[in-house]
Amino acid sequence: MKKIFVCILFSLLLTQSCTKVDEVVYDKYAASTFYSSPAGSDVALASVYALIAGNWGGVGYAGADNGWYDLNVMSSDEQVIPHRNTGDWQLDFAQLYKHEWLPTHSIVANTWTWLYRAVFTANLAVEQLVNAKADPSKIAEAKVLRAFFYYLLMDDWGNIPFYTENNVTVENLPQKNRQEVFDFVVSELKENVEKLSPNKGGQYYGRFNKWAGYALLAKVYLNAEVYTGTAMWQECLSACEKISGGGFSLHPGAAKSGSPLGYQYFELFGDVCPEDETILAIYTKVDIVGRNIFTVRSLHGPHANALFGFSGWNGSVTHKNYVDRFDDNDIRKKQFISGQVEGGVTYSRELSSLDNPGADRLEGIRNMKFYPAAPMNGGGASNDFPIYRYADILLMKAECHARLGHAAEAKPFIDQVRVRAGLNALPANPTLEDIYKERGFELTWEGHRRQDMIRFEKFLDPHDFKPQSGAFRKLFPIPTFALNANKNLVQNPGY
Amino acid sequence: MNYFRTQLLLVILLFLCFTKQAAAQNRIINGSVVDQNNLPVNGASVSLQGATIGTTTDSSGKFILTIPSSAKSILVSYIGFIEQEIRLSSANTYTVILLPSSQTLTDVVVVGYGTARKKDLTGAVSSIAAKELNPGPVTSPLQQLAGKAAGVNVIQIGNEPGSSPGVRIRGITSLVGGSDPLVVVDGVQGNMDLFRQVPPSEIESVDVLKDASATAIYGSRGAPGVIIVTTRKNKSGKSSIEFNSVASVDIITKKLGVLNASEWWKEAQKWNVPASENHASNTNWFDVLTRDGFTQNHSLAIGGGTDKFNYRASLAAILQNGIVINSNYKNYIGQIHAQQKGFDNKLTITMNLNSNISNTLGSPNSVGRAAFTSNLISNAYVSRPTDPVFNANGSYFTDPNVFQYINPYAVSQTVINEGGSNNLFGSLRTDLEIIKGLTASWFGSWRKTDSYWGYYIPAASTVATAIDNKGIANVSNNRAEERLMDISLNYKKTFGEHRIEALALYEYQTQVYQGNFAQAKGFINDITTYNALQNGDLSKVTPGDISSYKNDRKLVSYLGRINYTFMDRYLLTASIRRDGSSVFGPNVRWGNFPSGSIAWRISEEPFMAGQDIFNELKLRVGYGITGNQQGLYPQNSTQLVAASGVTYFGGSQITNFIITQNANSDLKWETRKQANIGFDFGVMGNKLSGSIDVFKATTENLLFNYTVPQPPFPYGSILANVGSLLNEGLEIALNYQPVKTRDMSLTLSGNVAFLRNKVLELSGSIDGVPLNTDYVGWGNNAYLIKGMPIATFNILQHQGIDAVGAETVIDRNKDGVIDQGNQSPDRYIAGSALPKYTYAFTPSFSYRNVDISMLWRGAGGNKIYNGLRSNLSRLENLGKSNVLSTAPELGLFTSQYGSDLWLENGAFLRFDNLSLGYRFNTKSLKYVDAFRVSITGSNLAIITDYSGIDPELSGAYGGAGDNGIYPRTTNIAIGLNVIFK
Repeated sequence: MKKIFVCILFSLLLTQSCTKVDEVVYDKYAASTFYSSPAGSDVALASVYALIAGNWGGVGYAGADNGWYDLNVMSSDEQVIPHRNTGDWQLDFAQLYKHEWLPTHSIVANTWTWLYRAVFTANLAVEQLVNAKADPSKIAEAKVLRAFFYYLLMDDWGNIPFYTENNVTVENLPQKNRQEVFDFVVSELKENVEKLSPNKGGQYYGRFNKWAGYALLAKVYLNAEVYTGTAMWQECLSACEKISGGGFSLHPGAAKSGSPLGYQYFELFGDVCPEDETILAIYTKVDIVGRNIFTVRSLHGPHANALFGFSGWNGSVTHKNYVDRFDDNDIRKKQFISGQVEGGVTYSRELSSLDNPGADRLEGIRNMKFYPAAPMNGGGASNDFPIYRYADILLMKAECHARLGHAAEAKPFIDQVRVRAGLNALPANPTLEDIYKERGFELTWEGHRRQDMIRFEKFLDPHDFKPQSGAFRKLFPIPTFALNANKNLVQNPGY
Repeated sequence: MNYFRTQLLLVILLFLCFTKQAAAQNRIINGSVVDQNNLPVNGASVSLQGATIGTTTDSSGKFILTIPSSAKSILVSYIGFIEQEIRLSSANTYTVILLPSSQTLTDVVVVGYGTARKKDLTGAVSSIAAKELNPGPVTSPLQQLAGKAAGVNVIQIGNEPGSSPGVRIRGITSLVGGSDPLVVVDGVQGNMDLFRQVPPSEIESVDVLKDASATAIYGSRGAPGVIIVTTRKNKSGKSSIEFNSVASVDIITKKLGVLNASEWWKEAQKWNVPASENHASNTNWFDVLTRDGFTQNHSLAIGGGTDKFNYRASLAAILQNGIVINSNYKNYIGQIHAQQKGFDNKLTITMNLNSNISNTLGSPNSVGRAAFTSNLISNAYVSRPTDPVFNANGSYFTDPNVFQYINPYAVSQTVINEGGSNNLFGSLRTDLEIIKGLTASWFGSWRKTDSYWGYYIPAASTVATAIDNKGIANVSNNRAEERLMDISLNYKKTFGEHRIEALALYEYQTQVYQGNFAQAKGFINDITTYNALQNGDLSKVTPGDISSYKNDRKLVSYLGRINYTFMDRYLLTASIRRDGSSVFGPNVRWGNFPSGSIAWRISEEPFMAGQDIFNELKLRVGYGITGNQQGLYPQNSTQLVAASGVTYFGGSQITNFIITQNANSDLKWETRKQANIGFDFGVMGNKLSGSIDVFKATTENLLFNYTVPQPPFPYGSILANVGSLLNEGLEIALNYQPVKTRDMSLTLSGNVAFLRNKVLELSGSIDGVPLNTDYVGWGNNAYLIKGMPIATFNILQHQGIDAVGAETVIDRNKDGVIDQGNQSPDRYIAGSALPKYTYAFTPSFSYRNVDISMLWRGAGGNKIYNGLRSNLSRLENLGKSNVLSTAPELGLFTSQYGSDLWLENGAFLRFDNLSLGYRFNTKSLKYVDAFRVSITGSNLAIITDYSGIDPELSGAYGGAGDNGIYPRTTNIAIGLNVIFK
């Protein structure tokens, strides 16, 4: 009897050591230790770039769908995905095109979510790089990236919650007005751009080097009047001049067999964006790093299948009124496709309806600016995407000169771009209208159109299926989910 | 000295000791125990009430017992029969007839970590004996429970081979934390998967612990209820060989009506579908993809034993050929149970070993076009009847003009989707009676599960992603190891009018989960399918193609319980459990889960002696706090970094790392506080008996992914314990046995449960961060809304169809804009997906050798959003799809809304089971003890207004929509049961 009791007591005692329930993590790293290593701080910077490549779920600047790119191009006049009378495609895109979006619009929400996740990641990178006493150029790079995201937020929403340290509480998360965000972006860029590496290509391909930093600063100045009411054309011009120090030139445009669509011009939108003209690109390798869906989304199934062996989505089209503004000699017009094509498909130039009952299956002019680069599949191709390129800078210079009243000085810049496209130089000094149109020819489908239309005061005008819209449409509404989650936020007027 | 210590311990444990000394004079009584068929009952216990004197009957049912001459009565009991108290007269010979104990108040019930007599129960427990289980071609033990217990809702969605039903006990207790009950099979704790290891024919009893006073003993795992399965053991002194076999033909009795080829073309022309879309065939896609199914269920059990040793071993095979071509399921279960007594019967060692091997060949669950993704069979509705199955050259037909066209027959023939699992559990239990009444026990169990899955989808399948990648193959392997050990002391003592039982227990559990996944794409041909991933194009490896994981959790618990009975009338149960778990946040590692309940057997009161209304009347009142930690996964509470795809940086592609979640170091279990009041009664000589229970349960610290402001959070939600959820209900179970003679019996049983669910709170704050969560989309226009049930429909109101065939909805706030946002004022509240009531009626009748039983089962008070009908009704889809035969009359061309046009009443009454059995007389047979044949029909009819294929969907889980299910079958089964001598 005694022995048995001893045994039981002993086993109960033994169990005293089995009272620890601490957690062991086997297959992930603890954030607290991961980022504090030198390798970790580099990874923190790299992970910011991971958010720029386009991917499913509205992630990224451009390349995929339902995110920043769609918000900023479909709300302009250059692109739309009509609802089809075969029941295909939701109405989100037509709503953007017709300026009928509500604060609950999913693409508005996706873009907000993406940008604030990007801000968080950039804040994290800044914090980790500073803690790790990393190379100042890397700290500057993280800060410029953050300024880039705030610039995009300011451009789309104006008045936005602002924070630079992640451990902030909601009470200390002020909603700054557009002027305040503008001031932050400008001062952050002025302070850091010079610290960025001047190197191009190689290790710096797809990254903010000094030239990309100035291109961003120039963009901010270019739209200063829209953001703050005070124009800053001279400052924009000086920033553009700085970029010239990077030794950029226009990529040749001439016909060349083997080039996409038969012209060297379209190499700008190919597998790798050429170093001569590209200032900042998004590196893309389908299914691995982002994706570029723009051609496969536009073409009808059998057409894409005949060309590439993968079915197209029969999605985005451009209204003929937009396409018809192009000169027939303009090599840039080659990106638009209509009529009889491969795969037994004949696209009609007409567009009978965007929403109800929807367009016929083969209506609408298609676009192949991003002629699919391998590897590709039905989920996209590997074309890199130019965020900033020299042609844009030339047109910005032309615009600044024109805005400052020096139309003659503007002319050579716009002419360079025209001549490369197979056109003649302008017969006279450019008007602002000429520059606006030229931007529409050169930069279409590259994500600049909404900003340009607002700056040139065209955004609210009626066009195609869109009636005149209210001035409040120049800003997007703060998404409903964000307002609900943070009761301190104030909605933009008009929504 | 040592003896003195033992005595001291005893004194402490038995602080109330009033043992009466028995008188010295004895007498001898004898007799026999028989069952209702006058057959001897072997091994029945015959004992003196309140004393330790007792014996068991021999193989001819005879007993002899020496008792004090002062004894007034003896107790005769046997498992499965009603215990009888026999008043002693001057006679010395007694014949006792024991009656089977179906749904009576005196059964032995298995409760957590022990057993109790049903009459001593203080909590809400539903007990189902083997013979009450649903007969027929069951593939999961849960199917045997459907309709058998009030408040226990067994949900079978479709009859996909190998798919197990789900169960909800007293409703949905959690939003994301899991509402599956804890499953305990012969002491081994696990999740619902454990049912796959239970051979349906080897179940002795199933006990469902429903209220907190019963489940609190399981602490942080008890909140959603507990299902305890006890498998059959061999009876001492008996040996048997038992063979069971059920074979069933499974047919589809209800399918959706879609247009045939000529109807389609007629309608298509009306809507200007070009002739090029008419591929001039006449295909009934549903028929092409389906066949009659066949289900078999065989088992062989052997057992034997002496008074010191017994064993039972069984082997079962469940084989199912699904009604969709190329779908089947096989499950083989082997089980050995052995028990040995030693140390002069003071020591009992029980060993259990169970293993199952199952294989599934599944039809793909998620295929289709961008616009319509569902299971394979639902794709049959979408396919145009004018499309041929094959091209002229023998290849599978596909239409390049339709975005992501799929040919479902090609999918069924070319996609390989198969897997299996090998599960093993063993347990060892040692009970040692240290002194009379005090038992020390050690229990250990070890469960290992290994499962694999192989998948190959070739380009020939016509599925777009497979074409894009030139074939996709993947394999995954998962394994889990769950170990449990407990050490306990149990003390039982009866003295005078007092009976006390006390339990102290320490438990330690570890669970380890590991697995890996590998995928390859780009195959030159389809010969090696998923068997040689290296044959794929390795240059196409993308992030997500390779992964592995490992995590574990530990749970340490201390628990104590006391049952106290006074005068067999006043009953008290109190328990406390303290749980510590590694998955709780570092700030809250330990939680306490107490419970208390009392019962009053009013019918035993002297003042009830004069009345003859109530034979039994018991009042039960209980309250307890339980927890739920299913929804907490290891590593939920800390901020972690993990690989997330690839990024391009520094001139090369490198692995990207991200912070994977918003961290919450206060993460803990959900707390469920439940109060229960119940009555058990028997009237009219116990012909009518039943239970009525009323309960109110509040889940606090409700786990959910609460909305956080973004910014500053990188993700829009955080897993936290903030809100609360209410379930309250009324359960009534009745059993009426108007006829009970030796030859004939008629039993009318039924139960009904009413359930009300309400989301009490979804907002709050953690660490000063406001969490403003409301109107959370729950899918299919259902929402989580504060103050409303889970899955409340908040939906646009259909108005009509305009001249061009577009749907219009009512602009409720009349602002000229239809806002489809979650909180849009254009939406209105239109009921909930949760059934408000469930009920069942289970009459049974037997006459001599014939028995008949039925199960009628229903639910209602819920709505279903018929998403499939919405998809298959829009005529704009005609060019690429088929539509329902009701679509032309509806005349809806297009709609941009998900309106209440598709919202339907989900109530149903199903004639779920009809079984007819015949027991042959075997008295003349030398080797056969029992021989029974039966014929069973399942799912014979359904009464419902629901227009879809079956109204029994995921509503009871809070699912709101019907997006196409694997069809529900009607089964006609023939069964055979033989017991050899």
